[in-house]
Amino acid sequence: MSGSAPILAVHDLSLSIGGTPILEEVGFDIPHGSIFGLVGESGSGKSLTAMSAMRLLPAGARLTGSIKLAGRELIGLPEDTMCHLRGNEIGMIFQEPMTALNPLHTIGQQVAETIRIHTDRSRKDALDTARETLARVGLPGDRFPLDRYPHELSGGQRQRVGIAIAVALKPKLLIADEPTTALDVTTQAQILQLLKTLVVEDGIGLMLITHDLAVVADMADRIGVMEAGRIVECAETTDLFQHTQHPYTQRLFAASRHVPKRRAYVPQQGDIPLLKVDNLVRDYRPNSLFSGKARTVRAVDDVSFAMFPGENVGLVGESGCGKSTLARALLGLEVVQGGQITLRGKPFAQPGKPPAADQRRLIQVVFQDPYGSFNPRHRVDRLVAEPLHLLNERPSDLERRRKVGAVLEAVGLAADVGKRFIHEFSGGQRQRIAIARALIVEPKLVILDEAVSALDVSIRAQILDLLADLSSRLSVSYLFISHDLSVVRAITDRLMVMRDGRIVEEGPTSDVFASPKHPYTAELLAAAPDLGSALLARGVDLDQISQLSLV
Amino acid sequence: MLRYLARRLLVLALTMVAASIVIFLLMSVVPGDPAQFMMGMNADPAALAALRAELGLDRPLLVRYLEWVGGLVIGDFGQSYTYRVSVSQLILDRIGLSLPLAFLALLLSVVIAIPAALFAAQRHNKAGDISVMGLSQIGIAVPNFWFAMLLVLLFSVTLRWFSAGGFPGWDAGFVPAMKALTLPAIALALPQASILARVLRSALLDTLGEDYIRTARAKGLSRGQALRRHAFRNALIPVLTIIGLQFSFLLAGAIIIENVFFLPGLGRLVFQGITQRDLIVVQSVVILLVFAVTLVTFLVDIAYAFIDPRLRRGTV
Repeated sequence: MSGSAPILAVHDLSLSIGGTPILEEVGFDIPHGSIFGLVGESGSGKSLTAMSAMRLLPAGARLTGSIKLAGRELIGLPEDTMCHLRGNEIGMIFQEPMTALNPLHTIGQQVAETIRIHTDRSRKDALDTARETLARVGLPGDRFPLDRYPHELSGGQRQRVGIAIAVALKPKLLIADEPTTALDVTTQAQILQLLKTLVVEDGIGLMLITHDLAVVADMADRIGVMEAGRIVECAETTDLFQHTQHPYTQRLFAASRHVPKRRAYVPQQGDIPLLKVDNLVRDYRPNSLFSGKARTVRAVDDVSFAMFPGENVGLVGESGCGKSTLARALLGLEVVQGGQITLRGKPFAQPGKPPAADQRRLIQVVFQDPYGSFNPRHRVDRLVAEPLHLLNERPSDLERRRKVGAVLEAVGLAADVGKRFIHEFSGGQRQRIAIARALIVEPKLVILDEAVSALDVSIRAQILDLLADLSSRLSVSYLFISHDLSVVRAITDRLMVMRDGRIVEEGPTSDVFASPKHPYTAELLAAAPDLGSALLARGVDLDQISQLSLV
Repeated sequence: MLRYLARRLLVLALTMVAASIVIFLLMSVVPGDPAQFMMGMNADPAALAALRAELGLDRPLLVRYLEWVGGLVIGDFGQSYTYRVSVSQLILDRIGLSLPLAFLALLLSVVIAIPAALFAAQRHNKAGDISVMGLSQIGIAVPNFWFAMLLVLLFSVTLRWFSAGGFPGWDAGFVPAMKALTLPAIALALPQASILARVLRSALLDTLGEDYIRTARAKGLSRGQALRRHAFRNALIPVLTIIGLQFSFLLAGAIIIENVFFLPGLGRLVFQGITQRDLIVVQSVVILLVFAVTLVTFLVDIAYAFIDPRLRRGTV
């Protein structure tokens, strides 16, 4: 092993699976103690590049080119040698902390296993090292004993266990595949900081895969941009942002900072609120024969707010803060224990009473998952026409077809896609169909529950444009629920910050971002990755570049 | 954990009560009068009435139900109408055969199924997997009485290793008794092992697709190690349910095999009870089987909690 060789050197790497080319001539180096960011949209080949370095590829995969780990060629190594390298010299962290750990093994066992399979240390010795490693990644033994199971930990804590598994043997190379995508912003900031510390302290090379430009702008020393299985541009971080060469990088860059054109809501004296929520309470009581003392969980705690016609309101907060429960209560899907919801001056849902169908029509919803929220056995026209049963008068067949066609065209799809099934559409198209489904009954309020979170930046930019356009044309209001502060900032007039079931801060979006009043809001804003401030910290003025490179 | 146990026990008790009512009501509406059956079609009505009174058949349903349940609790199942001996003695004799037979068959099926499933899952869609799946298909399709007869032909008639049927009793010694149970246990185990192997294989393949298997591979475990250390225990959870159901089936459902091998087991006892209108025997064996099934389900529930820590929490 030569000391000067980069930890990972990839050259002319091509991968095909079952004859289909996946990666073409991918090449990059990761020196010791440096962070290489690999960015790109879903399907661009980021994860498969990582899995090629791990040599954990699906059956039928064919690798050519060269992958050198500290000077040693990995392609062609026998499987048992690779087993020895994995976990020992290359550690890997995955996206889904909720499912990446074995639910039946304790965290101590899972970290110690890495040590036990690569060394001949005793069980006790391995557990001791596991304890030290867990403490190092922020899970000290006095609060997180080794016999904890994954389900007893939060998402962020589980991701720390995942990191401990990967770094227990101090590998030379650490691969992190979207390590913080499933986490809240404050947790994300902590995990990214931890990764940085590990790189500096252990001098390891980190390959950080992400779709989030703001994250790599903050973390990486060098960035590779991937599109369709190729690295289209690769440069030092500041260089990359300052002198963006490739049109794809420029598009990606523009899309991630995209602010849709829309008419801002101007409050007027005497406006009647579209939606008024007063002292809303939603309790969960774990109800069972032997549950002992009933522990009530208050998911929505005395929430009051109002929304005006044409106004877009953002609702942000960490997972479990009650955002989605509040949304479900507004949709009449939750029985509330207290408070009142008023829609256009009429009572909508009261404690113990479901809303009337003609009221319900006025509030529709678009969910996050463009894959799971459709019945795969129905054709698009049936899916889109579904909410029509909320209308007092059922439209005739002809009328229904006309409505479906019109609403599909309104969301930018051809009217004749109605005959197709949902699996024939991409994620972005599906989200357009979901929006069409919400709009067909001409609602006044659409709840967008993380509606663009699962989409790639360029698709997200298109959907945000569509939403802004529809809002102006159809005078629909949005309640925009998201954990992504940059999206909320781009599309809302007013922002509400929720924590532990309560709304802790509320105000015009620009004011909240400029000068947060509640310490929690400040914490949230500070933790959120932001491209502008990350680049500013590197001495790059974003506003200057944007005029140059953005089309 | 204690609360989990208490809840399971309560479910068990309630199931028993419900089952006893259903069984008793069913038995009292089935056609056929035990007294008539015992005395023949031309019996004198007065004598018939006397026998009915003696058997207690003339009393109200509720009284008879309570008496029966009261007896069950203290282990008194009543007198058989036809054998004229206590039902508990009858059952005790038969269970000495049926219980070991069921255990033996279950053990065999688990011992065959687990390695077969691991072997197949590790070679997914390759020759080994396809052969195991093909064999298990045959194991399910072949009627077990026919397979039993083939076993008799080969091992008893041709090779003369085992006797063709009958049971010498445990008094004759452990080895002769086990020898008598070996062929029936194999015949019973074959379809069960085939089902179990298929279920375990698909459960293993499901868990192999889980993210934590990828984590295990990234740690440096080989495919086989990941399968045995991480997939196996996770895959056991659905498989336990099948094992529980199989045990109950093996305990009661061996009638045909018992007939092929002339074994005096519980299945034959019920069969004879039904043909002779010995309703007290039938309902006692049935309630006993219900008890065995609920007990096994209870044990399976406990085993779940033992395997899966997530079930232990939320109940503590």
